[in-house]
Amino acid sequence: MLVWSRTSRWAAWGTAGLLLGLVYALPLGIIALASLAGQWNGMLPSHMTLRHYADALTGDSGDQLKVSLLTGLMASLLALLCGSWAALALRAMGPLPRRFLSVVFFLPSAVPSVSVGLGLLVAFSQPPVLLNGTIAIVVLAHFILISAFTYGNVSAGLARLSPDYEDIAASLGARPAYLLRRVTLPLVAPYLIAAFSLSFAMSMGELGATVMVYPPGWVTLPVGIFALSDRGEVFAGAALTMMLVAVTLGVLLGLSRIPTKVTTR
Amino acid sequence: MANGGADKAAPPAGSSGIGFESVTVAYRGNAVLRDLTLTVEPGEILAIIGPSGSGKTTALRAVAGFVRPTQGRIRIGQRDVTDLPPHARDLGMVVQNYALFPHMRIEENVAFGLRARRAPEETVRERVKECLRMVGMGDFMGRYPRELSGGQQQRIAIARALAIRPIVLLLDEPLSALDAQIRRNMLEELGQLHRALPELTVLYVTHDQTEALTLADRIAIMRDGRLVAHGPSRALYRNPPNRFTAEFLGRANLLPVRMESLEGGGRHARVRFGDSPLLAEAQAQLRPGASCLLCIRPHDLTLEPRGMNGNVIHARVVSTLWQGDQLSIAVDAEGTTLRLASHPLAEPPRVGDSLHLHFGPEAATLIAEDDR
Amino acid sequence: MTASSTSGKSSAAGSFDLRAFWIAAPLLVLAGCFFYPLSLIVGQAFKNDAGAFSLATMAAVFGSTMFHEAILHTIGIALGASAGCLALGFVLAFVVSFVPFPGAGLLVRLIDTVIALPTFLVALAFTFLYGSAGILNMSLMAAFKLPLPPVDFLYSAWGVILAEVTVYTPFVMRPLLAAFSLIETAQIEVAASLGAGFWRILRQIILPAALPALLAGGSLCLLLTVNEFGIVLFIGAKGVITLPLMIYDKAIQEFDYGTACVIALVNILISVGLYFLYRFALGRVGGNRAGLV
Repeated sequence: MLVWSRTSRWAAWGTAGLLLGLVYALPLGIIALASLAGQWNGMLPSHMTLRHYADALTGDSGDQLKVSLLTGLMASLLALLCGSWAALALRAMGPLPRRFLSVVFFLPSAVPSVSVGLGLLVAFSQPPVLLNGTIAIVVLAHFILISAFTYGNVSAGLARLSPDYEDIAASLGARPAYLLRRVTLPLVAPYLIAAFSLSFAMSMGELGATVMVYPPGWVTLPVGIFALSDRGEVFAGAALTMMLVAVTLGVLLGLSRIPTKVTTR
Repeated sequence: MANGGADKAAPPAGSSGIGFESVTVAYRGNAVLRDLTLTVEPGEILAIIGPSGSGKTTALRAVAGFVRPTQGRIRIGQRDVTDLPPHARDLGMVVQNYALFPHMRIEENVAFGLRARRAPEETVRERVKECLRMVGMGDFMGRYPRELSGGQQQRIAIARALAIRPIVLLLDEPLSALDAQIRRNMLEELGQLHRALPELTVLYVTHDQTEALTLADRIAIMRDGRLVAHGPSRALYRNPPNRFTAEFLGRANLLPVRMESLEGGGRHARVRFGDSPLLAEAQAQLRPGASCLLCIRPHDLTLEPRGMNGNVIHARVVSTLWQGDQLSIAVDAEGTTLRLASHPLAEPPRVGDSLHLHFGPEAATLIAEDDR
Repeated sequence: MTASSTSGKSSAAGSFDLRAFWIAAPLLVLAGCFFYPLSLIVGQAFKNDAGAFSLATMAAVFGSTMFHEAILHTIGIALGASAGCLALGFVLAFVVSFVPFPGAGLLVRLIDTVIALPTFLVALAFTFLYGSAGILNMSLMAAFKLPLPPVDFLYSAWGVILAEVTVYTPFVMRPLLAAFSLIETAQIEVAASLGAGFWRILRQIILPAALPALLAGGSLCLLLTVNEFGIVLFIGAKGVITLPLMIYDKAIQEFDYGTACVIALVNILISVGLYFLYRFALGRVGGNRAGLV
């Protein structure tokens, strides 16, 4: 409603559309195209094939998909547990300790992922805890990087919860554990799910820390994609990327459909 | 009266009721409640009213256990509950925004307290049905709160609080979120509920004095964290002990007068308002010679004389306001503005007209001047 | 033990809520998994090869030209990308909010989804688009009969900047969209009826409302671009080394952990500094209202 005339409105939409298309639609479309390319010497691929997808779902690449999914699930569940626990516990504290600890819990999101990986490498290649070369160190790396986001999401959800619900539940006779299970958690369920979705997506795309700590037997999709493109097998890399995107979006979509019976005011 | 859903024996008679004993609540040196001592008798409704910031909600939340007193004790029935967590206090609570659990059906909402106390399922089912019938919402068991209107939700909230058979019911501005028409209906229903549950002690917090006057047996008035007045509703209305109470509870005209003598065997007091001699109800602590205030309610002033001992005040009309069911006339008498509420007149007085205002001595009460 | 309040508020002064001790478990986990490794990095940065306290490694790193280049590249790319994000984000958010078209809601959801995708995806796509064997170059060579690929910007800082702008603009758009949605249309209509033209409205009503969101989004972009690794790795330009990439090279390719830790320390300090800048900017916007977590 700011732009009144017809022509300027179309001009605005046109510019925005062009920008959006250039910036968003084009890259995804290109990768989709590349994933189906048999040979690409000129402007467009000369012939298309599904070979790359077939390769992607079997052998090494198929394993990488499994690895990514498992890592994502484990790390996200752990992050959800830890982040929610921290968010709930922080609510019971006075304002000053709460602000300080809140910053503490958000710090892992500020630190660059490669440094986190380096830290884990250095810390757990020596006693007392040796995790070098295990699956655990990869899951741990993902867990640290995403725990701040689950904490943030769940905190935000708890902050928007009207205290009346828990007050009344307590006055009716609900002890703290019952109250948590039956009232608090169900009411923040949408935020818990959103936190899990975000964590999962971030884990699926994580590269910086993974590349520092992964053992040869536990290769995630992003590491695999990089290896392929580094070797020059860009089309196979493109196919793997499309698979990564599809799986991530698929899981996100599935999670967003979980009914939570909580209406937004 | 049986308690909760667990197998508890009926408590001895007179074991409900609420007691505040010198309760003070302070946050970082800021006193929200100052030395409150108040008793709510078993089975009565006591309304705490006051302007915002008066501490009335804090007092209620202290009974519920959400606020810890810095000093003093709180009693529910015979038990000192000051150190008990909210879930051990055996009370029901209803708040302004209903707070029905949105992820549970009505049936589950009302059953919540019983299930939390692990009552047997048959008890739960019966009690839920009974309480929903009591509030007239028996057909809504399978619905979700979002499908109900405000008034319906509040009824469910009341049913939920009553389901656990509490000894005490706390109501925190329960009607403030409702439309005026619904509020009137709910007020009547609350009155009926109280009559149906004679052993239930009710603490009712509101800023609306009409609700308090309609519903409560006794009223407590608070201001700036202190208890300013308390007593049976009618007595408090007819004989307010101080100026704040007179003006907060109902509308009041306050005339500055000087007390002259006692008459009628000490029952009446002769006072002087400017040049006019007036007769009012005597107050024990007021002596001849004292300056005080004479309180007369707008609807007790009439334009026609009544009876023999009537008082008369000469005044000039300042403004008239037609309000549908009444005519509100503001007059000036010797520098003091008074308001009278009259039924609508065929020929209302005009601005500037001279009037005589009449009222009987039984409608005039004296108040000691407090430092405002 | 008394739980004086279920939601943890309004405890009278002097009472202590024992439930606060629940924080111990997550705090321990965080300490063990995050702060302990971090402290080791800091420790390692101050040691020499023999393990004794020494500033030799630090001196060596701070003196090396490669390190200087890496810092310049990192900060330069971060600033460039953030500026681009702010510009692009503002334009897009503006059009979506004030020149409404059907499907605007869907578009916003789409943008939120893009945030979930890995960053290197864009870098990969750009190699297909702007690489030496990419579509743009191939088309130009075919159209103008050129012997060599004319467009070469991908394998430079500009390529990285373009990729990062693509990826991080949503982080500017989200708070902007939230801020714009709080501007009442009534304000704009009244201004227009009082005779204000498009540019005046933009300057005096929209920009002031957008400023806090721009600040928050901009500082977030700075933080994210300083830490970005995937894009730089995938583009793999020879001359473009950023701090994270250098850490990776030193640690994994050369096994030089001492140097890697020093660089990591510098990277961490810059990031944490930017993070506090971001928190400060968020405080001015109003946290939750900006649509940020």
